[in-house]
Amino acid sequence: MYGILLALPARSVPRTPADDAVVIEKLPFRAGDSRARELDILRASARNAPGDAVAAAALAQAYFDMAQARSDPRYIGYADAVLSQYKQPVSVDLLVLRGMLRQYRHDFDDALGDFAAALAQDPERASAHAWRGAIFLVVAQYDNARKECAALLRLQRPVLYGGCTGLTQAYTGQLTLAYKTLQQALTLARYDDQRLWLLTRMGEVSTWLGQSARAERHYRDALALGRDDGYLLAAWADFLLDQKRPAEVVQWLAAWETSDSLLLRLAEAETTQQLPGAKAHVQALDDRFAAAKLRGDTTHRAEEARFQLRLRKNSALAVQLAAANYQIQKEPRDLRVLLEAALAARDPDAAKPAREWLQSTGFEDAHMRTLAAHILQLQPLVKKQVSAP
Amino acid sequence: MMRRFALLWLVLAFQMTAWAHKASDSYLVVDVKGNAITAQWDIALRDIDFALGLDRDGNAEITWGELRARQSDLSAWALSRLELTRSGGCPLQVTSLQVDEHTDGGYAVLHLVGVCPAASGPLGLQYRLLFDLDSLHRGLLRLTLDDATHTTVISPTSGALQFGAMQTSRWAQFKQYLVEGVWHIWIGFDHILFLLSLLLPAVLVFQMRRWQGVANFGAALREVLWVVTSFTAAHSITLSLAALGLVSLPSRLVESAIALSVVLTAANNLWPVVERRRWLVAFGFGLIHGFGFASVLAELGLPADALALSLLGFNAGVEVGQMAIVAGFLPVAFLMRNTRFYLRGVFVLGSWLTMLVALIWLLERALDLKLLTA
Repeated sequence: MYGILLALPARSVPRTPADDAVVIEKLPFRAGDSRARELDILRASARNAPGDAVAAAALAQAYFDMAQARSDPRYIGYADAVLSQYKQPVSVDLLVLRGMLRQYRHDFDDALGDFAAALAQDPERASAHAWRGAIFLVVAQYDNARKECAALLRLQRPVLYGGCTGLTQAYTGQLTLAYKTLQQALTLARYDDQRLWLLTRMGEVSTWLGQSARAERHYRDALALGRDDGYLLAAWADFLLDQKRPAEVVQWLAAWETSDSLLLRLAEAETTQQLPGAKAHVQALDDRFAAAKLRGDTTHRAEEARFQLRLRKNSALAVQLAAANYQIQKEPRDLRVLLEAALAARDPDAAKPAREWLQSTGFEDAHMRTLAAHILQLQPLVKKQVSAP
Repeated sequence: MMRRFALLWLVLAFQMTAWAHKASDSYLVVDVKGNAITAQWDIALRDIDFALGLDRDGNAEITWGELRARQSDLSAWALSRLELTRSGGCPLQVTSLQVDEHTDGGYAVLHLVGVCPAASGPLGLQYRLLFDLDSLHRGLLRLTLDDATHTTVISPTSGALQFGAMQTSRWAQFKQYLVEGVWHIWIGFDHILFLLSLLLPAVLVFQMRRWQGVANFGAALREVLWVVTSFTAAHSITLSLAALGLVSLPSRLVESAIALSVVLTAANNLWPVVERRRWLVAFGFGLIHGFGFASVLAELGLPADALALSLLGFNAGVEVGQMAIVAGFLPVAFLMRNTRFYLRGVFVLGSWLTMLVALIWLLERALDLKLLTA
């Protein structure tokens, strides 16, 4: 609440444009765009048939897909508003959609419940298994994830099964096997978006294995598919940053300022190279995190931790954010930012859950193992400082 | 269908890392003074476009002209989703339209005015903007209600909000005057010396024409509580009377009388006239000290809308300050009560010094001289 008091007055002064022709906002796409037309049609049919669960689900699904394509949470809100006309989801489609929206807000337990309820009504619903598998991976419940992967195999979804199993293997310390599983899935993939996803993940697994040349090849193959994909660009930028090639990051991400996570990588690259644009981008990120805090949004603490650590050099705050994030999300990138922040803040206790994860899973990434080892060395030294704020 | 399932994986993986943009917010700043309302409402142009369709030529760019052309629709839409009440509805109207930038893009800025049927009482606010279209939308409200500021995040489940004129800000006001009260007793040497002159003999009894220590702590404590409470009760009465403007005395008279009260109390320790019922002395002179506090309060100024609360805060602060002095003084004095140091040094010499200082004050104040530098 206090954040609001501080943040509200820090606004610019309203102005009156001098000319009617002044452009005051750019929209995501043109009114005549095929996506806009498709959405218009779905909106019209949902409006003309109130209470029609099929029309509502189609519109909500379209909004959800749009949120993904544009990485824009407004569409999540639109989808949610479509669903909120129903007190309870009245169809399996709507149940699955509600689960998707809930996981988007990191309400993982309720999302798992929705997917389970959908499966109780329709055991063939592969998407519900896929979502459950994905959530279990995020919250580091790997045995449960394996069960969902097995269900996908039973439902004869080999590509989904390969993705699900490959990631589970990777997160549980079987990187070589994981790579083979993903590779196998890639041979079965029939669509570019499947290929893009699998190639991206193969790039990540190769990076963890220390095989940079192979990782770069996979990332470049994925990029060559010519589809905008925020996750791929973020993974690719992280790879380049780790390879100390910030100049290329700036080239790739120059046009992606609107995406917070890509702007973060761009600002990191610019700061490393001491480019003039760095300062404005760091400030823009600061403003955006403040704006999110204003509305009580805590779903991007991992990014904020990295921002505080690398760009604001506030390791104490970074370790707090990373630890809070790790309570919710436990994927390798969540782990890494926690380890890095804990090391910078000389706070081995904060890194304890992460080190335990590394130990129990046997996760093989050499970089993170080195970080954990450094933190371990830190321990005797730091005993005195632990109580310091 | 296969394709859609594959997409799901993308979606999930994407969101976990690639957060972008922020969800929709509007910024509503409302200022209510009596029955007059002024407000500024910043609404994202993207949200207005989604609700009303602004991009007339379909080029994915919104121009100032396109927004201006829809000003009346925009006003009608926005105003139908915001209700303010103060014992009845406060009709709002848009006086002007501007634009601004926030972290996520361009915003239309609506300047609003309104008039309420009443100039006091709680303010009701109901906000429904965009909730039918975007359930992640939030209204970020900063409301200034008669100089008290409230901030809140309004969500679809917030419903009708009520903001009382009393609330957080009143507590803050009370605290402010409480602190002033404490501060004043601490820096008001005349009050402290008066109090100490009354307290010095509290651990003693006057028997067989000489002072000696009381038998038990309870007796001393009871005496102190009587004295301090009567002093507080008395000065609260006159402080309130003076602060409310019901009684007014010339400050030179008041200040001189305060100095005299200290002289007399200290003298009473040396040549006892009143040994019992010192609380009566405390009460009587407390009435005079209350007028002294009132002049301080007059300098601070009392908020017209929280007169009683501020007075109470100030009185409570004075009491807290006195209690702190008592808490520090009493145990030490009780332990030392039978020592030569206390009976001779602290009690007799202390009373002499006090009387002397107070006499100088009395001369200064009564004759408007400057003998001791403040």
